[in-house]
Amino acid sequence: MISKEDLEHLAQISRIKLTENELEKFPTQLEKTIEYIDKLEQIASDDSVTLDLHELEFEELRKDEIRISDEKQLGKNITEDGFLRGPKMK
Amino acid sequence: MTKLDDLLAYEVVEGLTEGQFTAEDYVTTIIKRIERVEPKVHSFITLDTDGALSSARIIDKKIKEREDVGQLAGVTIGIKDNISTQGIRTTCASKILENYVPTFDATVIRSLKVNGAILLGKLNLDEFGMGSTTEYSRYQPTRNPWNLDCVPGGSSGGSGAAVAAGECTIALGSDTGGSIRCPSSFCSVIGLKPTYGRVSRYGLISYANSLEQIGPICRSVRDLVMILNIISGKDALDNTSMSSTPISIPSRINKLNVGIIRELITDCDQEVAKLIYSASEKVKEIGCSCEEVSIKNLHYALPSYYTLASAEASSNLARYDNIRYGFDYPIGEYKWDTYFSNVRENFGEEVKRRILIGSYVLSSGYYGKYYLKARRLRSLLKLELLELFKKYDLLIGPTMPILPFKFGEKIDDPIKMYLVDINTVIANLAGIPAISLPVGFSNGLPVGMQIMAAPFEEQKLIDASCELEKVINIPRRPNSI
Amino acid sequence: MSQVMIGLEIHAQITALNSKLFCSCRGNYRDLRPNSNICEICCGLPGSLPIINQKAIEYSTMTSLALGCKVPDKIMFYRKNYFYPDLPKNFQITQYNVYGISSMGIDGKYELDGIKQIKISRIQLEEDPGRIAYSEDGMNVRNTALIDYNRAGVALIEIVTEPDFTGPKEVRQFLNKLSLTLEHLGVCDTLLEGSVRCDVNVSMNGGNKVEIKNINSFKEVEKAINYEITRQSSVYGRNLKIEHETRHWDDKKKITFKARSKEEEHDYRYFPEPDIPVIVLGNDFVANLKQRMPELPNERFERFKSKYEISDHTSNILINDKKLADFFESTLKLHFSPVEIANILVTEFKSLIDDDAESRDYLKNLKVKPEHIAELVKLIEGNKISRTTAKDILVKIFESGKLPTEVVNSSNSYKIADEKTLMDAVQSVFDSEKSAVEDAKNNREAINFLLGKVMKFTNGRADAKIAMRLINSKLAEH
Repeated sequence: MISKEDLEHLAQISRIKLTENELEKFPTQLEKTIEYIDKLEQIASDDSVTLDLHELEFEELRKDEIRISDEKQLGKNITEDGFLRGPKMK
Repeated sequence: MTKLDDLLAYEVVEGLTEGQFTAEDYVTTIIKRIERVEPKVHSFITLDTDGALSSARIIDKKIKEREDVGQLAGVTIGIKDNISTQGIRTTCASKILENYVPTFDATVIRSLKVNGAILLGKLNLDEFGMGSTTEYSRYQPTRNPWNLDCVPGGSSGGSGAAVAAGECTIALGSDTGGSIRCPSSFCSVIGLKPTYGRVSRYGLISYANSLEQIGPICRSVRDLVMILNIISGKDALDNTSMSSTPISIPSRINKLNVGIIRELITDCDQEVAKLIYSASEKVKEIGCSCEEVSIKNLHYALPSYYTLASAEASSNLARYDNIRYGFDYPIGEYKWDTYFSNVRENFGEEVKRRILIGSYVLSSGYYGKYYLKARRLRSLLKLELLELFKKYDLLIGPTMPILPFKFGEKIDDPIKMYLVDINTVIANLAGIPAISLPVGFSNGLPVGMQIMAAPFEEQKLIDASCELEKVINIPRRPNSI
Repeated sequence: MSQVMIGLEIHAQITALNSKLFCSCRGNYRDLRPNSNICEICCGLPGSLPIINQKAIEYSTMTSLALGCKVPDKIMFYRKNYFYPDLPKNFQITQYNVYGISSMGIDGKYELDGIKQIKISRIQLEEDPGRIAYSEDGMNVRNTALIDYNRAGVALIEIVTEPDFTGPKEVRQFLNKLSLTLEHLGVCDTLLEGSVRCDVNVSMNGGNKVEIKNINSFKEVEKAINYEITRQSSVYGRNLKIEHETRHWDDKKKITFKARSKEEEHDYRYFPEPDIPVIVLGNDFVANLKQRMPELPNERFERFKSKYEISDHTSNILINDKKLADFFESTLKLHFSPVEIANILVTEFKSLIDDDAESRDYLKNLKVKPEHIAELVKLIEGNKISRTTAKDILVKIFESGKLPTEVVNSSNSYKIADEKTLMDAVQSVFDSEKSAVEDAKNNREAINFLLGKVMKFTNGRADAKIAMRLINSKLAEH
């Protein structure tokens, strides 16, 4: 059910490089997990009830005020002008 | 006179404020214990003994000058390493965050510090909280202090082991599918997963944010109440947090109606079942009624949990691309796409598996099949439990279906590992509070009983636990260590 | 006749907000040093959580109402998952209606000035990503990304229309009206750099839709659409098919070019944002908001007509320029003479400022203030100066900022009503325009000519009525 191509596609959309070992054993392992969660199929589809854990009232929301953060948030790789250096785009 | 390093948290506070010993004495004793025990148990990823000693000296000074030192003065705390501590490396037991030092404290950390608690260091876990044995830590596993060949449970294995081994007075863990209760059960200590929203998640590094809560692990119910009251509360920095009433230690309790969950007893190991049945007798002894109940939707709980948790994890962990923080991996000539993938190759296997499953279930075409059904099951389960809680004050059962097992026993089969969570995920899915109490040993291996209550009914959990603690007397510290 | 269908997807920053959508960093990130307007939340640091901005909900709801949308009782946020270096969490918190209506507004209608209605598909609230600049290494263009998160987390309102437009003119009209509405609501200042972006989809002859992205101002939209229609027409003209694709607008070369196909293959894996609970707006919320909402252009137009009794034409000019309309009403507060004031503002005043109209604060920086116009009009109505003089005075006060009375005094521009002085002027003209005087006995036109000469002689200051009377009486003498 999970082919090597499927696995590579999933790895690509998740931006995760897999080791040789993982490419070997993941298809079976993932397949087993998916088979296990397939049990959910027995649950009827019904849009009526979704008991959400929480609701927030409009009045409780954060007021629109400025607070300047004083910590240096980005530790590494900053240029002289303050930009964060990233990898090549093209 | 109890040895210093065996003192419970409330005894430390009392002793300190009465001048029986200094904070520095106490912390020094604990540090010595850590030095003896750590090579065997390996609970910590990062130790900050210098910081702890200097905090201790500050407290001693304050006591001398008759200043307020807070409700947790002198109490040493280990923090699970997925909770942000300002200036102290926070790794989530992952290579990906090897060099990450947070610029802010989690809200719970601030509350503890304000109350005079002393941070000892960061405790081991399964990478990013994904696992039930701490074997998935990328910084070596932690060992069960009761039997060093066995796992301490997970994902807060370091927290459970450290408390059991006396390496800290109390610990904080986090619980997404049982990660506080499992190690508490396996290490014979008390652990609580609070009602979802009771404790602020600000600073908790997300694995599955609709399921998880920070909670305390300790050796007495009284300690637990102290910590819980300090870390609870609505936080402006966490939109999912809610206000709650403080818990008190009861002088006496009312009769509680208790239901013992049939499916959990019939599906667990014999030795575990035996101890749970004995414990249920004690429940009756303290004046509660106890009868069997059934949870219809229980068999779908685990697939629902893994669907939702993986889905959320795949998104929560997307940010780890090493651009803003992380570990040492030069950008070089990589194009951004490839750089991301190469960086994230450094996740452990289990984390990778869950992210891939998560991406799978959220993919277009599969969303209705898995994710929506899992959400639906979640609602059905919650409704069913709320219905039960109209009749019963508490629901009990074994925390874990099996005894603590040996390293490597389940690591090759992810499904075998997932099945270990079957009793604990219910509480996370429904957002209800659940505690694990030690109830005995089988062949020297600890067994815990889980008690669940309706949302925000922690007081009932505490009432029962307090009384049970008096009649179920078991050692909380392995003498072998 | 080729049938063109155009739809819009507009992103407008809520420039009115002080802070960002999910944290308390500044909402206005412009001109700040890179990465100096950030915190753990908008950088997505581990353990940080989004905290929704109450005012953002208000502004986006107001926008929904102004565009005729239905506002749900409860709203929700979703995650849109994709990887990109300008996205700190590698997902964007946005809204999504596929699994149930939960965005700020749906099913709206917006009238295009009596011609047609444009259907508004949905309005949603979401966060802006950061920005990527590119470093060039001298000769070697290394294309290393330089990332700035100052903008990351700024609140955006996304407005999506049905493909109801049939040509670029309608689109231009719509965007002008939308800008005006947003300005009236105070939600978005569309002249601020980078405050609005517009994606367009164009299909012709019932063929495939082509999406055009990367249009960074409303002005460029018309150009992009024109280009695309021409391009598609020529493709169809060669009997070829138009593929469903995404193209980018290059505002330097003024062309659309095909984006790399990879960008089209996104599966965003939407799911509800677990860190933000469902937000209950409440039954009274919309009603309360409607009451407190600023006046919309249509409403203001009606009010101007009924309260001030000015013409439709004049009203239109004022309404379409909010700053001018505000200036008008400020002036009215000082001196209530709507028709006269409006007249000056939409004619001489407007022609003096039209050169600067594109600059953001053009009225603020003007030396002429409502006091000036109020005083000027008082002088006219008090018959102290003629309308002709007024024009000149206006130019002078534009330059100097001095009050009209001061200018009139120093340039000696008061109306001349004194008959003796006027008689001298008339006499002077009669002396120099002998042939015209002769004509004037028979020719009405020539009398006006003489009046004109008198006005010129007196530098426009002569009281025209009196001067005319004197001219007629002098002619009668001859």
